[in-house]
Amino acid sequence: MPTLDLHAGVHETTVLQRRVLAPGVVLLSLDAPQLAAATQPGQYVMAIPPSGETAATALAVYEAEGKLASLLFFVTGRRTHELAELRDGDRLDVVGPLGNGFDCSGGERDVAIVAGGVGIASVLLCAQRLVRAGARVRLFYGARTAELLVDAQRFADAGCELIVTTDDGTRGESGFITDALARAQKPHIIYACGPSPMLRGVARIAMELGVRAQLSLEETFGCGVGGCWGCVVPLAGTSAQAPGFPPATLGGSDVVYARVCKEGPVFWADELRW
Amino acid sequence: MSVSPSLATKIGGLELPYPTLMGSGCYGTGEEFAPFADLSKIGAIVLKSVTRLPRLGNPTPRIVHTPAGMLNAIGLQNPGLDWYLEHELHKYAKRPCKLVGSVAAFSVEDYAYVCERLAARPEIAAVELNVSCPNVASEGETFGCYPDLTAAVVRAARATTGKTLIVKLSPNVTDIATIAREAEAAGADALAVINTVRGMAIDVETWRPRLGNVTGGLSGAAIRPIAVLAVYEVAQAVKIPIVGQGGIENVTDALEFFLAGASAISIGTANFTDPRIPERIADELQAYLARRNLAGIDAIVGKANHGFATPHQYEGDEG
Repeated sequence: MPTLDLHAGVHETTVLQRRVLAPGVVLLSLDAPQLAAATQPGQYVMAIPPSGETAATALAVYEAEGKLASLLFFVTGRRTHELAELRDGDRLDVVGPLGNGFDCSGGERDVAIVAGGVGIASVLLCAQRLVRAGARVRLFYGARTAELLVDAQRFADAGCELIVTTDDGTRGESGFITDALARAQKPHIIYACGPSPMLRGVARIAMELGVRAQLSLEETFGCGVGGCWGCVVPLAGTSAQAPGFPPATLGGSDVVYARVCKEGPVFWADELRW
Repeated sequence: MSVSPSLATKIGGLELPYPTLMGSGCYGTGEEFAPFADLSKIGAIVLKSVTRLPRLGNPTPRIVHTPAGMLNAIGLQNPGLDWYLEHELHKYAKRPCKLVGSVAAFSVEDYAYVCERLAARPEIAAVELNVSCPNVASEGETFGCYPDLTAAVVRAARATTGKTLIVKLSPNVTDIATIAREAEAAGADALAVINTVRGMAIDVETWRPRLGNVTGGLSGAAIRPIAVLAVYEVAQAVKIPIVGQGGIENVTDALEFFLAGASAISIGTANFTDPRIPERIADELQAYLARRNLAGIDAIVGKANHGFATPHQYEGDEG
């Protein structure tokens, strides 16, 4: 992925609006013009906990337009709970935008975006950009249950064709979103963000279809800016190399560990060692 | 007093304009944090440990967040000394702060070998001996857990360089003061106190350890009282300066370490919370000293070791 995070910084933002989109799913809209201007599709921020509690939280930038940047996240633990408690007018400092996001410059005319659960937060900017570029964009969106298919209409309004599945069949077909992808007409490229099993499925389908796929990975971050090597992923192939390291072959191994936060979070599926 | 208090400190031969070091493995090469922190407002970056041969590091997950802290088990991932010296180190030369190299090894000979070659480089102002990494299967921490092995490593490394040698001690020992004395006697110029505390977390859904390495090192506020005590005890055991570290997140935390006996502090995990913390601590340290009419950091180092004096009794120390 090309380096995109040229305008990263610490942004002191104000919460414009906090919305609960579903139980445990929160959308924080921030007054953050510089962040919004600098953010590329698939990038994220480290949200600094107002309490100072150890470690910032990595959150995808969902929307970025004008003075507004928003963060869409699921409450999964202590740190996201604290962020979910913020109210309109509260201050939230964030570090970003960070990481290498989706490369939307390939010019493919028929695109599949695959999102599982909270993975939806990483793909809106990507979808908007591709629609603007004139591509046909199909969003394959899977969730556990209907009410967790948050903000799906937003993608339809943005010009995406929607294919949804739920684990329990409360909306769309019952089953995994990867099954829907496998049955669908072959796209020219796939973009995906979601849980690891879904991403593995997407990678396998992409290989079978003979199309390339960009996957946004999730891993527990330490620093989130490339300093601690806590969030690595193995890259395959003798030409694989991580910054600061010899190529895999010289290192005496057939893999190298790259940082999800810095070299990623988006990788080409065929770069990864599954 | 109209002159603002000095934050300058000295760690052996290493003179620092600010008493703040960035902990090894927590701050990358400095470049990663440069967009978010003013590197000219910190004392030094302790670079990630380098070993003689390349190391892939541990499988993931390498990080688990825990109450008031986190567990890590990176496993000394590094490109190996040859690649590091040939292809990487020169890129760090333009940092606006001092760089401390960090050495990890699995034998006394390798500690000396890596130390000698690293210390010979002009980019490196001082060397830290990491004899206390808890995350390399049974070997690395062994040295720092035994007084005689610690002494052997320090003696061997000491013989290779005149640059300032900092020995980073493990808290995972019965008596850290004994090991501190051995390191001092073997020629250490300073001690870094403490490395992470061994710990573990288990996923109750999968019944599996949550770290790829099974065990890890605990850092963050959770270990601060352990670290403050270690600094306090080591300060009474040795005469060489101490770099205090372990869960420092703000000026109050930093002051605890100075008062316990540290001449400088190191900030690690707090950078993961907010990269502005080191500069904020330096600013607030200066304000604290100014409020008390103290000329510099020296005036508070180890003052908690002097019986039970109240702060105002020392206000006149600097005349």
